[in-house]
Amino acid sequence: MILSPTKGLEFVVAIAAGSLYGASVPPARDVYADNVMSGASLGIPLWGITSVVFLPLLAGNTMAWDAVGMQAQFAPLVGWILFGALLGAVLQLLTGVVATRYGAEAAPASAPSAHLTRIVILGGGFGGMKVAECLEEELAGSVSISLVSDTNALLFTPMLAEVAGSSLEPSHISVPLRSSLHRTHFVRGRVTGVDFARKVVALDGTGTKARELEYDHVIFALGAVSNYLGLANVEAFAFDFKTLLDAIRIRNHVIEMFERADRETDPEIRRQLLTFVIAGGGFAGVELAGALNDFAHGIFPDYRNLNIQELCVTLVHSRNRILPELSETLAAYALERMKQRGVVFRLGTRLVDAQPGLVTLGDGHIPAETLVWTAGTAPNPLIKTLDLPTNPRGAIIVDSTLAVPGHSNAWALGDCAAVIDSETRNPCPPTAQFALREAATIARNVCAVLKGAPATNFHFKSLGALCVVGHQTACAELTVPFAPARSLRFSGLLAWLIWRGIYVSKLPGLERKIRVLMAWTLELFFPRDIIQTIDLGGKDTHSWHSQ
Amino acid sequence: MAQPVVAWKDMCLGLLVGIAGGFLQGIVLHSALPSAALLGGVFGLVFTAVFSKRASSAGAGLIWGLSGALLFWFLVLAASMLKLGTHDSNVMLDDARGRFAELAAYLVCLGAPVGLALGIRGAISPGSSRPPFNLSRAITAGGLAGIVSGLIFGHWMWQGGFFPLIAGLIVIPSQAVRVVLQFCIAFLMGAAFGLLFQRDVRGYGSCMGWGLGFTVFCWFAGPLTFFPLAQRMPLNWSMDAAVPLFGPLVGYVLYGLILGVVYATFDRAWVRLFIESDPLNREADGPGFRLFRSLQWGAKAGFAGGLVSSPFLFAAHMLSNVAGAATHLSSVNGLLVHLLVSTLIGMSYGILFRDEASNLAMAGAWGWVFGLIWWYVGPLTLLPLILTGEIDWRITAASALLPSLLGHLIYGNCTASLFYILERAYTRKQMLDSRMTARELRRVRPVGTPAPALWFFAMGMGVMIPLLLA
Repeated sequence: MILSPTKGLEFVVAIAAGSLYGASVPPARDVYADNVMSGASLGIPLWGITSVVFLPLLAGNTMAWDAVGMQAQFAPLVGWILFGALLGAVLQLLTGVVATRYGAEAAPASAPSAHLTRIVILGGGFGGMKVAECLEEELAGSVSISLVSDTNALLFTPMLAEVAGSSLEPSHISVPLRSSLHRTHFVRGRVTGVDFARKVVALDGTGTKARELEYDHVIFALGAVSNYLGLANVEAFAFDFKTLLDAIRIRNHVIEMFERADRETDPEIRRQLLTFVIAGGGFAGVELAGALNDFAHGIFPDYRNLNIQELCVTLVHSRNRILPELSETLAAYALERMKQRGVVFRLGTRLVDAQPGLVTLGDGHIPAETLVWTAGTAPNPLIKTLDLPTNPRGAIIVDSTLAVPGHSNAWALGDCAAVIDSETRNPCPPTAQFALREAATIARNVCAVLKGAPATNFHFKSLGALCVVGHQTACAELTVPFAPARSLRFSGLLAWLIWRGIYVSKLPGLERKIRVLMAWTLELFFPRDIIQTIDLGGKDTHSWHSQ
Repeated sequence: MAQPVVAWKDMCLGLLVGIAGGFLQGIVLHSALPSAALLGGVFGLVFTAVFSKRASSAGAGLIWGLSGALLFWFLVLAASMLKLGTHDSNVMLDDARGRFAELAAYLVCLGAPVGLALGIRGAISPGSSRPPFNLSRAITAGGLAGIVSGLIFGHWMWQGGFFPLIAGLIVIPSQAVRVVLQFCIAFLMGAAFGLLFQRDVRGYGSCMGWGLGFTVFCWFAGPLTFFPLAQRMPLNWSMDAAVPLFGPLVGYVLYGLILGVVYATFDRAWVRLFIESDPLNREADGPGFRLFRSLQWGAKAGFAGGLVSSPFLFAAHMLSNVAGAATHLSSVNGLLVHLLVSTLIGMSYGILFRDEASNLAMAGAWGWVFGLIWWYVGPLTLLPLILTGEIDWRITAASALLPSLLGHLIYGNCTASLFYILERAYTRKQMLDSRMTARELRRVRPVGTPAPALWFFAMGMGVMIPLLLA
């Protein structure tokens, strides 16, 4: 015999090795060569582990792992190699015999799909996409997840102002939903109604047939739209700042104004063309004002007939301080820095009307061809048409688990929901930060309902807020970990670096991150682009002037 | 589906090449020619019957032939011991050393020619479903890989006096001519590698494996066979002739690994630039995603592998060496350095071997090979280089490092197995996406690739030769 005298233990190891080998190699017909060689190669580590290490140790001998000690185990090496080869051959032989006798091993039967739970998510913003991602993560193949959105991409809104300011390309901050979601069935379309009795969602028939989606669980993540507070003229003439198309239009419009001003001889009209009014002093308005101010000054040298004194970016805000979401000191810092960079502020006054070439405030007029509205939002108007409990703003009222009371298996989150924190009882702000956490809670609760477990309440404390106010300048107020009552405040370059670091890390998709980082790097060395892109339909960027 | 019966033409080819090889072996070993030819014929017939369907390309045939010859040698060795009626290791070791010339003869005269002949026949025979072969890609990528590997490797080989190529052999007065000749041969070796293994290159890991197998064979065919013949010296395949050539063997192994990695780099670059970049071949997610995930899984698996292997390396007194090389701190810090290095090496596994294993057994097998590779690269090459600034590839140095071989094998296996488990957990979820399912199915290595043969040949030669020559 080639095997060493401690055969008993070696047999145990051999049986264990054979069992493990058989279990880990998928059965296949007529692969003797593969199994013989695989088994023979397995024999070498088996020799090392068994004959060189464990058997001498079990026998109470000192370890002999040097060359001489290993050479003393040469016969077991040959034995284990031949054992492995034989193991492979016998395993293959038995596999063949079993397959001949009982037939080929049946493929594992797929799980019975008598009832596939259908989850329909309405809205492809931060909340909707996050719910889909969490459900994909937590639920196996027994559910069908559908996401309905009127755009086929998630818009990363924190960087929207940079698109309007020509710092980033539009596609850099949009993440295609079809590519990002692996198991979710994406449906591009607009929701026209929900029949809670039949449990179906109705979709519009724009460009195709109207259709319905049946659901077992429906999740409302429809987001918000601009609220013009009943100012019809403003709604007719102002630019929205909610979507990617809005940002592209604003950028194109700014360039258009510069082009017209460059050939205009009347200084008053030039000033009117080069005055850009932004209504609203929240995050969106301030960031847009800062971005447009940088953009306008950045492209100014390309227009040689213009006078820098004629350029004016004005921010109108009804309160006496901007950025109510931040502390007073940071808001004052932002105001001061933006003034230094040339932004004009009209605080404590309301926008009351807008006509072509003229923006009317409560305390005066601003001759301007450009007005962007960021002063108010409202939940998606579809909500009003549904039989759902809503608050005075029109947001869906939800309980502490984010379920819609009175409607089984209906959930809501984000800007279209009135979410109350279950611990503090304070209303949650309609921000992406909260929407993401609400989405995770809803996904958990849907899973809990499917498993018959109790749902969890929603609670989240804000991590802080960040706002860019101009070139390499930002404000940041971050909650101190484990001391939520306290916050760390940063401003200037450090805050700007924090802003960029955090948001680029939050931007979904590695590819997008790399594109944004490259664009930011290129921006350090090259001027911003002034090529006008094509605007397909929508609000006519020439409308004010033509009217 | 039942495997078709082996064609009689294949059997004839195997028999004829086997007889010719046996005849040649008989001449070299000065044994009786009829019995040597008979042995060769038997080998050719058995090999054809068992392995001919696996020899679907020249490279696959070569690897199957070499591993078949090695297994044949082990069988002969075991039969000899049975005949002697002993299982004493020292007797068997002496017998194995005495039969070293037979091992070389089996590899050079039987395994390689029979495998190559059947592989070439398998490659040119019509009707079989094989991946497409691109001649210009094989020669371009292989030739460039050969030159770059020669450049990388030349310094080490020069330093150790282990230059494997012909330019150091034939006396040529002109330095420029020697260098040109050197790189011409490097180009030819690389191109030969590309021609042999293009169809079996799946990723960096398997390519390193083919490189290892190819250059171990080159060691037998070159320094042991061709170089003495070129110098008009008698052919000597005995142990006495092989012991001084252990240094070049390590050099050949490292050259093969570098050649494999460089070839895979060029080959993958070719695939990425000219094939995968074609929108018709677009995958659902880009290659960057898998790379970063592989690095992450490799780090975790490498750390776990480092933990499991640390008792073995501690017992072999290797931890203090690592610490001494990096920090000059205590063995506790040595353990920390070992874990750090293990994590980094695990990440290298993630990059090199991520596309290789489609089941746990394959992952484990690639892990053993990975551990063996790192034994040659780490303690045998890099560690002495870091500690002393010089490389020491003598058999005495390798003998002193044999105790750590076990730790490296266990490290490789644990790392590979855990990496596979982590990858599998992710892939299970991906498989729920129909777009991913097709890609995952393509990753399953089809039956017939020479990976099992490579595992055995690499492991067998990598472990046995240091033992025999020590």
